[in-house]
Amino acid sequence: MANTKFIKSEFFFEEDVRESVAEVPVDKHQPWPENEKLKVVGKEIPRIDGYDKTSGTALYTFDINLPHMAHAKILRSVWPHARIKSIDTTQAENLPGVLAVITHKNIPEIKWFEDSFLFDTKIRYEGEEIAGIAAETEEIAEKALKLIKIEVEELDFTVDPGQAMKETAPKIHEGGNIVGGNPFTYERGNFEEGIKNADAIIEETYSTQVVVHNPTEPHCSVANWDGDKLTVWDSTQAIFTVRGVVSRALNIPENNVRVIKKYMGGGFGSKLAGGKYTVIAALLAKKTGRPVRLTLDRREMNLAVGNRPDSVQSLKLGAKKDGTLTAMSHYAYGSSGAYQSGAGCSWPFRTVYQCPNVKVEEYTVYINAGPGRPFRAPGHVQGTFAMDSAIDLLAGRINMDPLEFRLKNYAEKDQVYNIPYTSKKLREAYEAGAKAIGWEKRNKQPGVGTGRYKTGIGMGTQIWWGGGGPPAYVTLKLNRDYSVEVLAGSQDLGTGTYTFVAQVASEVLEIPMERISVILGDTGVVPYGPPSGGSVTSPSISPAVRDAAEQMKQKLMKAAAAVLSLKENDLVYKNGTVSSKSDPSKSIFLSDIMGKINEPVLVTTGAREANPEGYMIQTFGAQFADVEVDTLTGKVRVKKIVAAHDIGRVLNRTLLENQFHGGIIQGIGFALMEERIIDGNTGKVLTTNLHDYKLPLITDMPEIEVIIVSEGDPMISNTGVKGIGEPAHIPTAAAIANAIFNATGVQIKSTPMTPDKVLMALSQNS
Amino acid sequence: MKNFKYIPAESLEKASQKKDDSVLMAGGTDLLGMIKDDLLTPETVINLKSLKELKNIRYNAGKGLEIGALATITELAENSDVQKRFPVLVQTCKEIASPQLRNVGTVGGNLCQRPRCWYYRGEFNCLRKGGDTCFAVDGENKFHCVVGGGPCYIVHPSDLAVSLLALDASLEIFSNGKLKTVPIDDFFILPEQNETKENILEPGEIVTKIIVPEIPAGSKCAFIKFKERASWDFAVVSLGILLNTNGSTIKNGRIVFGGVAPRPWIDTALNTKLTGAATDEKNLKSLADSALLEAEPMSKNDYKIILVRNLLKQALIDLSKN
Repeated sequence: MANTKFIKSEFFFEEDVRESVAEVPVDKHQPWPENEKLKVVGKEIPRIDGYDKTSGTALYTFDINLPHMAHAKILRSVWPHARIKSIDTTQAENLPGVLAVITHKNIPEIKWFEDSFLFDTKIRYEGEEIAGIAAETEEIAEKALKLIKIEVEELDFTVDPGQAMKETAPKIHEGGNIVGGNPFTYERGNFEEGIKNADAIIEETYSTQVVVHNPTEPHCSVANWDGDKLTVWDSTQAIFTVRGVVSRALNIPENNVRVIKKYMGGGFGSKLAGGKYTVIAALLAKKTGRPVRLTLDRREMNLAVGNRPDSVQSLKLGAKKDGTLTAMSHYAYGSSGAYQSGAGCSWPFRTVYQCPNVKVEEYTVYINAGPGRPFRAPGHVQGTFAMDSAIDLLAGRINMDPLEFRLKNYAEKDQVYNIPYTSKKLREAYEAGAKAIGWEKRNKQPGVGTGRYKTGIGMGTQIWWGGGGPPAYVTLKLNRDYSVEVLAGSQDLGTGTYTFVAQVASEVLEIPMERISVILGDTGVVPYGPPSGGSVTSPSISPAVRDAAEQMKQKLMKAAAAVLSLKENDLVYKNGTVSSKSDPSKSIFLSDIMGKINEPVLVTTGAREANPEGYMIQTFGAQFADVEVDTLTGKVRVKKIVAAHDIGRVLNRTLLENQFHGGIIQGIGFALMEERIIDGNTGKVLTTNLHDYKLPLITDMPEIEVIIVSEGDPMISNTGVKGIGEPAHIPTAAAIANAIFNATGVQIKSTPMTPDKVLMALSQNS
Repeated sequence: MKNFKYIPAESLEKASQKKDDSVLMAGGTDLLGMIKDDLLTPETVINLKSLKELKNIRYNAGKGLEIGALATITELAENSDVQKRFPVLVQTCKEIASPQLRNVGTVGGNLCQRPRCWYYRGEFNCLRKGGDTCFAVDGENKFHCVVGGGPCYIVHPSDLAVSLLALDASLEIFSNGKLKTVPIDDFFILPEQNETKENILEPGEIVTKIIVPEIPAGSKCAFIKFKERASWDFAVVSLGILLNTNGSTIKNGRIVFGGVAPRPWIDTALNTKLTGAATDEKNLKSLADSALLEAEPMSKNDYKIILVRNLLKQALIDLSKN
């Protein structure tokens, strides 16, 4: 590794600002020029794992099939809130083919969320883990689940956060139902004063539903012990997190746990945490002395592995006649589920639009339901829906074009920390997006259209961190035969990490993509890298790849200088050959350099450099929706989405568009159809399959146009890349909501904006 | 899921003599899901697929259409006689589920499928499963019925049932070794008659054929299905309409609603107003607004009434044109 130093570094991960001391390279590489001048980076390069995936040869976690492998299932609570009085597993154990049954009675106490355990005798939600069974087949394990006899004392439950906040509500944890005991609060300026100075004031309550990640690939772990060493294949976004969780749960050192994940069919945040199922698989593998595979089914995925918390958001905004925002307040609550997760959603509200007087108070509330987990831009999706809906309402109040209103309140600096951005091209995104959607075609007066189908255009603004940061390391191995292996401490969720890592190495070393292989997702092999959440993967990993590759190039130049007896500054590197500038006849190919220095494999390690001190790194963007509302049915059809964003440098145009398509599809799901519904009388989830939980399908998809207004942000890293996974998803619902408002003149204040809600709102309005 | 024996049916006779712990399978798109979800726990599954004679689709001029109960939805939609003479059935087929499911699901199975109520399908011991509560009454009833309910409040999930009832079809049923013919209107029942089943079939009775009379000359038909998602979704509401207009008045017609009741629903009061009704837009609108007057919506489904009236109004206007 090249010279490094330790610096104070700020890093944004999901909703957290993490300040740490990080090891970073001393030497910075020259920023790359714009993509047009690069050869591989930024181009439309098909994903390198595309053939394996489409041909079916790609190995996913579920495909791991080991000799003598046993199969496990988890017994889950059917009660939303209960205390276990007794468990009798005799019958299950006696079923032929059953190999092991574990419950709280026969395993060591393993601490899990807050005051609870892996198997707790207090049940706090329907779907909570009670026992694990390993059997010869999955079918036998499933049968055995039904033979476990449990006696419980059923407890009063609460599944509504508004109700759960009340003093009289059943307590899910000793400390009460408000997570942390207090709301999160934020204040700048003087809100009351700002309201007094306003010419127009709006006060509205918006609500959003719980949605569930529902990735295509189920959560799955395969555990195999070899003596004291445990190998876990896991469908995860965070191999090192899983390693830590498993090592702590089993009380074994981290070097005895190896976590592997090669290919994955999506996670969206639901696979960011170490799962109970992984530890259960490891325990059952230990107990049976056989490898164990444990896969969750769709029902379990809809009950127990996370969700986007709901929200009720009451907003009050004031503005002057000229559009200047004078005051904004945000009071909100949302459900955490039975264990701690973040339901806060006010970050965009605090920082997107310029406003001197802002007040925020928000509560995260325990309810008897599956705990939340980060879901593709946690907080931002629901927060942006409410914020941008309110902005359009307020703009309408003073007869101002909503885009003009946004430009009027454009924030040049980050308002929470009062620091400049490394770059902000939101204005350019507004302009490009508005042009592409045909903003001038929108109804000047919302709802003026006539006839059965009314069309409208609306927009939403996106902000998200996505700058990444240290620590992130990459090992690059150059083989004498002019081939390369890049090992990165990261994992590919299906987003294309394998491909961009190869591209960056190929760009620097001028070695064709076909001769570069990438190894990710194996804690036993790769250096450390961050979990793949928070849109940090490409901005953290790509600069480390470049660093490793640049070091390799320097190493080859130095070696060539020695071999050719020339000065280093007389040498140039091109396509694997080092030549003398002054005497081009003197040149040597890297295979020969490596032969001369007797190195079959050269190794370098690169690192992500520090983020600049005193600057805020954010991604920005705007999405514009063109929708058609059927006034007879209330059904909304999204005709087109234009996504115009500032996300630094594009590494791969094809993968970038994939990310946008995915984010926008999920945005349409959130806006129009997806919802976890719990029966209030029984506390049981009704939407545990993909018929009742409605995901959008191909026929629901609009035309999508992606516009990138940025070209790399040289202040943040040597590649200038920002993340895109979450930004792509954030403003879709807000844009659709505002387009519906523009089409009908009626604002739908609650997601999903299903036909029944739209129809009732239209009929009450007419 | 409970393990079961799987056997092909030897004959209609043998299949109908099945034991109580056996079930008959047509396409299986609903049945197998129910077995997987433990809603059914049969010892034996008898596949009717081997009864090839139940797959025929035959058209006889003057007599109408005979659809073997085991014809798949796709086969019905692709039949040239059906396309030519009964386009409304093609229209209906294309609204059902997804292409894959239509390739496997049968016409008879579509009529006999079980309700999609999330309480019935979930871990709730509801009335339809022999329990003593309908959880929808004060629960999540957005997709439940607005009319004909009580004590259970499901909606019937079949799209074809709505169209076939509008076309006044009959069902041929193999019963006790004999064939009998029943008007489709008499086939479906309400929960007040029996809350554990949706039709008159007794154990061992098998729907063998669907008989659709010729569409009266001059009549126009339509099937309209409203669903939340563009494909692979059950009807929130649906309409099957047959209308014979004579310039400015309706000669006769029939309107059937799906998604509003525990069976395909004929609003009698509305249907009796059809004959002689003027086809000007104002009158058709008031006709549509008189639909489902007897409906008693639940806490979360009053939108269905507006939805039905809106769609009916539009459909009547469209069908009355020319």
